[in-house]
Parts: sequence; structure tokens; C-alpha cells
Amino acid sequence: MTTQVSEPDIADFASESVVIFDIEGAVHYWNPASEALYGWPSLTMVGRGIGHLSTRSENEREHWRMLLQEGTWQGVVSRRTPSGIHIAVDIRQYVRFAQDGTPRDVIEYGRQSLSDGAVPGADWHIPDRLMAASWEIDVSASEALIAQIARLRGEADAEAQLNARHNDLVKAARIINVNERTMRLVGGNRGRDLMIGQPVAGFWPLESRATLGELIVDAMTGKTEDATYRRQLPSDGILRDPLVTVWRAETPGRIYAAVNGAVDDDRSYVYLRASEARYRKLVHHMPIALWQVDASHMGRIYNDIRATGVTDFGAYLDEHPELVELAATTVQITDVNRAAVQLLGGSSALDLMRPVGYLFTVNRSSLRNVMIGRFNGQTSHEEITKIETFDGRVLDVRMSVTYPKVLAELDVTIFSFEDVTDRMSMEAEIRQLQADFTHAARISTLGELTTSIAHEINQPLAAIVTNAETSLRWLSRAEPNLPKVHQLTTRIVDSARHASDIVQRIRGMAARRPPERVELDLNEVVEEALQFVRHELESRSIKLSVKSGRRLPLVLADRVQLQQVIVNLLGNALDAVRNEPKRVITIAAADPDARERVLFTIADSGPGIAPDVLAHLFEPFVTTKPAGKGLGLGLMLSNHIARSFGGELRARNLVPDGAEFVVILPLADVTEAASHVR
Amino acid sequence: MPKTPLVAVVDDDEAIREALCDLLMVTGLECSTFDSAPAFLDNVQNHFDCLITDVRMPGMSGIDLLERMRAGGSDLPVIVLTSVIDSSARARALDLGAQAWLTKPVADDALLDQLKAAIGAEDWPDGPEQ
Repeated sequence: MTTQVSEPDIADFASESVVIFDIEGAVHYWNPASEALYGWPSLTMVGRGIGHLSTRSENEREHWRMLLQEGTWQGVVSRRTPSGIHIAVDIRQYVRFAQDGTPRDVIEYGRQSLSDGAVPGADWHIPDRLMAASWEIDVSASEALIAQIARLRGEADAEAQLNARHNDLVKAARIINVNERTMRLVGGNRGRDLMIGQPVAGFWPLESRATLGELIVDAMTGKTEDATYRRQLPSDGILRDPLVTVWRAETPGRIYAAVNGAVDDDRSYVYLRASEARYRKLVHHMPIALWQVDASHMGRIYNDIRATGVTDFGAYLDEHPELVELAATTVQITDVNRAAVQLLGGSSALDLMRPVGYLFTVNRSSLRNVMIGRFNGQTSHEEITKIETFDGRVLDVRMSVTYPKVLAELDVTIFSFEDVTDRMSMEAEIRQLQADFTHAARISTLGELTTSIAHEINQPLAAIVTNAETSLRWLSRAEPNLPKVHQLTTRIVDSARHASDIVQRIRGMAARRPPERVELDLNEVVEEALQFVRHELESRSIKLSVKSGRRLPLVLADRVQLQQVIVNLLGNALDAVRNEPKRVITIAAADPDARERVLFTIADSGPGIAPDVLAHLFEPFVTTKPAGKGLGLGLMLSNHIARSFGGELRARNLVPDGAEFVVILPLADVTEAASHVR
Repeated sequence: MPKTPLVAVVDDDEAIREALCDLLMVTGLECSTFDSAPAFLDNVQNHFDCLITDVRMPGMSGIDLLERMRAGGSDLPVIVLTSVIDSSARARALDLGAQAWLTKPVADDALLDQLKAAIGAEDWPDGPEQ
């Protein structure tokens, strides 16, 4: 592959003024150094005759005829700058000929004449730093406004009003064209096409908009057509001490603006450009989808809102949802990389260079969150959300937003979207597996408690049978005792209800349903869990001591899963004391450090846990029970369940004997408060 | 007129205690209920004609109660009424001279037949006094 480098490309970096004329004398190319030397932007020079630079056009025509005949010329000429000053320039002109011998064009090299006494600026060797950022601006639609401003200028105390009108003028002014430098400085890599036709205000620093408006009015209302109007502006974070020159263009209703000034950066601009190029290349090829966004106008809106004393921006947005819509339709995406185009299935970057709204069609609330982050002055924001591709697929994505630093050079917000659809579905699968596993363990526990459960249900059934038979006996007597039958029937109903409650509880334990986190009274859950094992305890003459003191704060957990943990721990305690002479299980619940968490403790008087087992207690398949009696998954699952509530499970040996398991549960209101903060 | 036989019922389940008592009363027997074995032992000096006891109860089981009674020289007829299916416990109860081992839910006739055998037909009432 061969790379063709055209002359102008090379000349862009030349330190000398390089101008290419066609044989008629019209400027064909005007390099940045020419812009620096003469002050005329390339934009205004290309297509113009050499006479534009000279006040003695008669001499120029004669000179041109001689040049084309002789092929070369060298000497000092006087040239006019936009400010009307004449400078002496050392030039060398060469005619270049086509293959057939006819003149093709003229190339001219020039630098300020030293004989003039002027010393070239220290920045001479870095022409880019001095090149003007130039604009061609259409204000034809603002004639009335300009006239109004001109009238206001005569009035006293109209300053504030004038200031507002000047700003309005810049908002109404449209960009006809800009040069490379303008694009680089304020275009945010938008590309020229995306700047053309836009309001100037969108790209012009806020601080100096009114000044630009003033200069436009000066130029449009000035008596002399050629007059230039200039103002030194304060440094604006983009250029150091910029100098703005505005003059009327040939086309009616249009003006030119040229902004001179060194880039407000300590590094040389050439270096900056090189590093920017490297940065852009890096960004472009990054495997993560990136969006560059200019939300500067929203930043200003936020400042205004903040100034009114608003601190809870979320609440403010709830009252003003239209602000989210404004951001969706006006915050412009200024650049995207290849991965972004791929992620959304676009055909080119241009498909994505639109207002940000399309990124938030599935989840408008994510845009709201992004706005809140910016308002609150965060440096970044991250969340899992959903994004719709151009072909209608909805992807799970991890969105990361990096906000601009306050007072940064350019107001650039970077969005990155990472497709986590696969990861999410994998996580969902793992969650499903864990749920299945937890459910299977519950079923297994119920299986082990069959005897106990059967006994539990049999009790009310036995009462029902006896009461029913007794009723029949009363009824079959010569004089049926109806009040007695009434009483017995009531008891039958009570017992049937009791049996039904037990079945309900077992069904709850056996059901397969997604866990939910609700506010629970721990004492109540313990009471329910105890009913599953009470007969196991009684049949083995195990003494159960329940120490539930005062009313505990509510905890946040899944009722069935919490029961599962308690039943599992009780089952273990039961096995631990089964063959011991002293058989005591103690249950206690407390909130030791009030209003933070609740501890639920199950202690047994068994032999304790061997140290080597204790270290691996919550790992799967760790069991001390005889083969065929438990898989060694109960504690692992109990720990997992406790953690899923935001709590944990701990175990330790007691002195002199026994072991203690502590379930730590988060309080309902604390968790809620914490989730609010997040 | 012979005195009405008095039957003790020991069960930790209130619904069962009440149901049994009502059945005994419709038959014309008198009934005293206790929610645990120790509670019955505290009143063992009372003259009971028969004891109906559950097996699994907190504190002391029905088998332990039977052992304690026999050790103390009591030959009170005892009917074990339980939902536990435990053959060794059953054998132990019968060894200790239990009148019967019945499982819940029990048919009223089966229970009353055993009670009649324990108390004796001569003392068996004709029915409740209206």
C-alpha cells in the first residue's frame, strides 16, 4: 500500500508562510503559517485574488505578468493585515509548470521581513499556536435584533438588557463554516459537518458570548465595509488571552470572526495534537463501546438550579420530568468509537452522533441517574441498565459515566457501555441453581422431619376423630344433648384449622418460589420453625430453653429461608446432644448493639466441633454425621442464605462444652436507610 | 349405687385431653386431666381407676411415667395412647404391665373396650346422668 502525501498536508506543518496561487492569481491554498503571518484565516483567503493583500493592485498585475514569464521572483513586498496595518514580507515565488510547458500554478514562500525591524515571535516555530480559529457566521436572520441593540446602545442603564440581547444574537447566529483550528478547539471532534448550521452559541465559550455579540453588532452596523473590530478577551480555559477580530463578509448578512491566542496549555500545541491523535486512535480501537457527549449546556442549567437552593436533584427531577426529556433531546453525542457502532449494530459512527435520548429508550431512569450524578458533582456514575440496539435487541449493559472535571478545558462527558447480557444470564442461572439447591435442601430437611410432622398433624386429627365420635354418642341418645354437640363441633373446627395451619406451613417450606426480603419478627419465625422440630426434641427428652427477651426490631429476610436456617441449625444441635448425658439446646435472640443488627443464637451442650472441622464448617460436603445421614450442605446453605440477607453465620465452640451458632441479621429499617444512601 | 369410676388422662395436647374427657363423660365415667407426667405424679395418691397416657411429652415420657409408677408399687391399669409407632417402646410398656397400646386416632369402641377391661364390667356405668 502506498501513501500519498499531498503538498498542502506537508505545508500545514511548515513554519514559513506557504501560499499556492492559480495562474490567475487567486489563492488556492493558504497554510496555517500564512494565517499567523498575515492574520487572514485560510477560510477568507482561498479563492481570493492576491490583490486583496495589496493596496497597489496595479503593481500586482504587472508583477504577476512578469512572474509568469520569468518563472521566479524574490523580494520584499508590503501586505495588508485584517487590522489594516501593512507588514513587510520577504517572499520567494516559483512558477510550477505542467508537463506540456504551460504554467500550472505559483507557489510562494514568505516570512516577515527582518529588515522591517520586527522580531519574529518566540512562537514562530510553532505556527499552530498562533493560527487563528476562524468562523464564518450568518446573522441574516437577526436584522431586527441587531437594530434593536443599536437603539438600546443609546439608552441609559440598558447594560443588563444589552448583555442579554448580545447573548441572544450569538444564539441566533448560525455557523456557515469554520477552519480546522476552530474545529479542534471547540468542536469536540464533532467534525465540520456537524458544526455547520448549528448556533454559534453552542460552541462559543459562555464567558465571551456577549462580547462576540457586541462585535457582531459593531461590524454589521459599522459605516465602513472593510473595518475590523477586535477585543481582547479574558482567558477562557481554551485559549490564553484570546483576541477576537470580527469583520463583515462580502455576502450580505454574514460576518467573519478570527480568534487568535495561544492554546491554554503548557505543552506545545503540536505535541498536544500528536498526543490527541494517539489518544483518539487508542479510544477508537478500544474494545469497549465509548460515547463522547457534550452536556455543557445542561451543566449551566444545573448551575442555575443549584443557585436557587435545590439540593435534592432527584426530587427536583420528579417535579420536572421535562428536564430529563430536554437532556434526552438536546445533549449531543460528539464522538463514538468503533466498539460503540458495533454494540448497537449501526452502519457508521454518524448513526450514533445524535442526541443521547436513543441510549435510554428502555430505561429512562438511567438518564435521570446520570443527571443526578452530574448535579451532585460526582466524578463518575455506574449502573447496570438496558440498552436497545438498532435492530431492536435489548442488551443488559454496565453503563459507566465519567463526568468532566469542574472548570475543565472542554465539557466532555464519556459514556461507556459494556454488554453484560451473557454475564447477567449466567448470574441468573447461578441464582436459579442456588435457589434450586436451597429448595432441595428444604425438601430434604422436611424428609428428615417426616416423623415429627406426621405426629404434629396426627394430634389434631386424633382430637377430631374422638370429638366426632363423642358427638355421635350424644346425638344417638334418646334425648340428644345438643349444647354438648355444639361445643364438640366447635372443637372439631378448631382442630381442623390447626391441622390445616400445619399443612400450610409445610407447604410453605416445600414450595419452590423466589425468595423475597420482607420485614419479619424474628421471635415469630423462631416459633414457627420450632414447630417443625418440637416433637424431635420431646421424643429425645432434650431440654429446650428459649430466651427471647423484649420485643426485637424487625429483620429483613425471606420467611421460609430463615425458617430453613433455624430448622437446620436446630437439627444439627439436636444431633449433637442426642447421645449426651446432658441434653440442652438454648435459643436466644438479641440486638446487642441496638438498632444495627439482630443476633440469633443456637447453643447446644454437645461435644463441640473438632478444630479441623471448624475451619471448613461452611464449605460444601463437610459433615461429621455418619454416612447416609446428611450431605454436609446444610451449613453451607445456611451461610449462603444468611449472606443473601446481608447478614452472616458464625460458629464457635463453647467452654466447657458445646457449640454455638450465631445468625446475624440486618435490621429492616437500617437496611432501608443504607439502600437510600446508595 | 356404685361410685363412678375415675380415669386420669395425661397428654401435653389440650385438644386431645378435652376430647378424651368428653368421650369418657358421655360413657358415664369421671375424668381428671394432666398436661404432663410430673403433674400426674404429684396427684398419684388420688384413687384413679385407670390411666390413659401419651408417650412423647416434654419433661417426662409416658414410658418413664409407667416405670416410675411400677417402681413405686402402683398397679394402676394403664392404657398407652400415642401416635408413636415404636415397637421397642411398645414392648417395654407391655412388659411394665400396660393394659393396652393404642395408636391415635383411636376408635372410640376400641378405647372403651380396653377401659371396660381395665375397670371391670361390674363397675362399668350405664351411661351419663342426664
